[in-house]
Amino acid sequence: MRLSLGAKFTITVAIILVGTMAANTLYFIGTASRFHEQQLIERGRALGHLISLVSPDAILGFDFLLLNDYTREVSAQRDIVYGVIVNPKGVPLSSYINDADPLIKKQLEAADSKNIPKLLQTLDGQKDLIQLQFPIVHNNEVLGRFLVGISRQSLQSEFHRQLIIQLVVLAALVVFLSAAIHVVFRINVLFPIRKLIAASQDVGRGQYTLVEAKSEDEMGFLARAFNAMTEEVQREAAKLHRQANFDALTGLPNRMMALDRIRLEISRAKRSNQRFGVFFIDLDNFKNVNDSLGHAVGDELLVAIGTRVQAAIRESDIVARLGGDEFVVLAPDIASDVKAEELAERLIKAVSEPQVLAGRKVVANCSIGIALYPDNGNSTEELMANADNAMYQAKSMRDGSAIFFTAEMNIRLRERMQMEQDLNLALESGQLELNFQPIFEMASQRHCGAEVLLRWHHPERGTISPEIFIPLAEATGQIVAIGDWVLEQACRSWSAWHNAGINPGFLAINVSRVQFRKRLSIRLAELMSKYSIPGEALELEITERVLLDDHSQVAEELSSLRAAGLTLSLDDFGTGYSSLSYLKRFRFDVLKIDRSFITGLPDNADDVLLVKAILAMARGFGIKVVAEGVENHDQLSFLAAQGCNFSQGFLLAKPMNEASYSSFLKNVQAGVEPPRRIASRK
Amino acid sequence: MKVKSTHDSNGKWRYIAFLFWLIAMAILAPVTQAAVDPLTMGVFPRRNTTETTRLFTPLAVYLGGRLGREVKLVTSKNSEAFWKDVTEQRYDIVHYNQYQYIRSAKTYKVIAHTQEFGKNTVAGILFVRRDSGITEISQLRGRTVIFGSGKDAMLSYIAPRYLLLQAGLKEGDFKMAFAVNPQNALVALYYKQADAAGGGDVVLDQPVVKNAINTQELRVLASTTPLLFLPWAVKRTMQAKLAQSIQSLLLDLKNSDAGKQVLKSAIMTDMGFAEDRDYDPHRRMTIAVFGPDGIAK
Repeated sequence: MRLSLGAKFTITVAIILVGTMAANTLYFIGTASRFHEQQLIERGRALGHLISLVSPDAILGFDFLLLNDYTREVSAQRDIVYGVIVNPKGVPLSSYINDADPLIKKQLEAADSKNIPKLLQTLDGQKDLIQLQFPIVHNNEVLGRFLVGISRQSLQSEFHRQLIIQLVVLAALVVFLSAAIHVVFRINVLFPIRKLIAASQDVGRGQYTLVEAKSEDEMGFLARAFNAMTEEVQREAAKLHRQANFDALTGLPNRMMALDRIRLEISRAKRSNQRFGVFFIDLDNFKNVNDSLGHAVGDELLVAIGTRVQAAIRESDIVARLGGDEFVVLAPDIASDVKAEELAERLIKAVSEPQVLAGRKVVANCSIGIALYPDNGNSTEELMANADNAMYQAKSMRDGSAIFFTAEMNIRLRERMQMEQDLNLALESGQLELNFQPIFEMASQRHCGAEVLLRWHHPERGTISPEIFIPLAEATGQIVAIGDWVLEQACRSWSAWHNAGINPGFLAINVSRVQFRKRLSIRLAELMSKYSIPGEALELEITERVLLDDHSQVAEELSSLRAAGLTLSLDDFGTGYSSLSYLKRFRFDVLKIDRSFITGLPDNADDVLLVKAILAMARGFGIKVVAEGVENHDQLSFLAAQGCNFSQGFLLAKPMNEASYSSFLKNVQAGVEPPRRIASRK
Repeated sequence: MKVKSTHDSNGKWRYIAFLFWLIAMAILAPVTQAAVDPLTMGVFPRRNTTETTRLFTPLAVYLGGRLGREVKLVTSKNSEAFWKDVTEQRYDIVHYNQYQYIRSAKTYKVIAHTQEFGKNTVAGILFVRRDSGITEISQLRGRTVIFGSGKDAMLSYIAPRYLLLQAGLKEGDFKMAFAVNPQNALVALYYKQADAAGGGDVVLDQPVVKNAINTQELRVLASTTPLLFLPWAVKRTMQAKLAQSIQSLLLDLKNSDAGKQVLKSAIMTDMGFAEDRDYDPHRRMTIAVFGPDGIAK
């Protein structure tokens, strides 16, 4: 049973009071009883001494009637049960017995009432009786004794009476004092405590109520301390709220708050049957800024963009920083797509406004994905995912574009998710297969190696192009396991061919940015050791995206790979984050011109210029060049005339599976194909 | 020439009248004196002073009223003081016991006797406890006999002593003890403080005794012949007429309501006529007990 503090205190006080007063009462009653008994004894003694004093004459004079008078008078005294004068032999000379006394009555019923000595004997030792005796002496001669019995009945009655009275008084006092103390306690302690409790509960609910702190006692101190604590909690809560809901760098609402606002907006829009838009903004090439100008400048750019975006939006709109270089704008009440487009244009313009940072003029672009409620989703997650999807779509198009999420995107999204799931199983279930596309030396048209290509044979969808599933694998991280499998399979195949006496040439294996981060050199060293593959048998095709990561780490890894004897090839040169400084910083052995530059040859003047420039540059650096996607003789002739070192494409040979490539290799070795040897490509 | 005045004649007659008055006073003085002096009535200390006063004051007032003369009740603190007053003839009227009368017979004349509880005679008794086993007076030899009051007590001492003498027990053949009064003697006997007690036969029936003890536990061992009860006497020198008046008043008490009240107050039922020879049996006992002079030693 739960008791309140007031009840516990009152009960405790009552118990203490009861204990103290009961002890006091018992002591008092005990003392009073002892005093009363002492008085009885003293009275008995007084009577006894008096009788002893006046009896000698009567005894000597045989005045028994006088003695009777004495005993009768004595026995007539209150509480006296009997008075007997006996001679030295104990024979009663005079006696008076109070027959009405209950004790006497009981004894008389049992004993011979006429036999005084026997009666006295039975009364001897009765705890309800004080028995005294006094010698009657005359001239040093004992004439007899005066025996007097005093009843304790009155004493006990008085004791009980006093006990009852004291108990009643005690009870009244306890009740009164307990009530009074309870009232005082209630007013001075409980009320303030209850106020503190209520205030504490308010604080728990987020209402920072201060309590009154007037008194200068402990309760006043407690109240003041509570108030100080409440204010501090309030400050901390505001701070935490700020930290939890606002981005520390830009001061804008953060992801959590953005999602919360979207949820609220969904409820509101649902009620009022309105549309609103979620604009997912991702800065383009923000990493370049960070890498080239430093993170401090990058932060400054983000702050500036946040401010500009905030200025560009309507008052009812909300901009939040999701993290990194991502922002989201929540725009309620978007009446039409046109309004959304207008807002998107303002946002793009705001972001791309030139900003002077660290003494340099910086222009940032962004990609914006737009998802509208309820067209593109009914939940926060759906809207965010679709906006994000649209943003990625926009990013793939060009800088500074905004894309509305479409149903097709949704389908693609679902397909992508399905593919992701299928890809998880593809490796385990043997759906992946290596293909090999031969590479030929331009001058001699001799086979010198092959690019390892990955094919996915989906049981339902058929063969899925690597252009579709490789980006997905890189995005999901599955590329690590797949890339490792490709490496091992390639090494196994080379080793098998070599062990079979077939000269496989070199194998050019594409490695992803993600594999590079996982200390690729160590893994390759393991595989090369396992399959006894010389370094020059392997070529790693690395895309420019790899070079966007930590340069020192990239340089170190490339150095390790080079030290292992591997050939390093810069793939899809000119298509991505090309920077000529990379050629200077990172030593590559081969450049692979992307097929997009080859397709227009020899008629497309731009492609001609670019290819010539690349070839010239490569020659200057001493780097060999491979042209991908050679599909006709004109292209081949042009490239050969320009001094391109190697070619690859459907004109020369299509990608083939391992078995087919094995046959190809055997044919080459057999001379069916022009004899090949491993050309030094360094 | 001397002129005789009326004044001179008157003075002479006054002088004669005054002489005459003196002579008359001288003659009548004793009578007058006698008529004015209160009569003293002494009562022997049978009871204590307070009780004696309470019991007999009504009688004194009664007598005084009838005699036209104050009757003063005089009490004594003890027997010795009383006897001294008797021997000095201080009392005009005296009520005492038979032995005291016998001893004062020369100076006092008995005029009445007391009747108590309807009895005017009382025997002297030797009492014993029923459970004592004593059936003969002779068994009291060497035992204790307790007597009420002193040796001058007629019924409580002299009569029981007489019985003992008759049984051959002289003083010394038994132990003697004296209670303050006959009632206490019986109580003492009851409480086995003695083997026998002497007293008048009326004592056993007295309420004070019955209230104090269970008288059924006592019995009469021996008894004298009934003796006339307590006498009332007047000084022999009292005028016969006065004495007679007093006697008549006493004997007549029962015949009036006032008298009955007086008797009741004195715990008497009547007063009867008495003369000296009525106390001869008492004299014989006294002589037998005390010797020829009849005086207790």
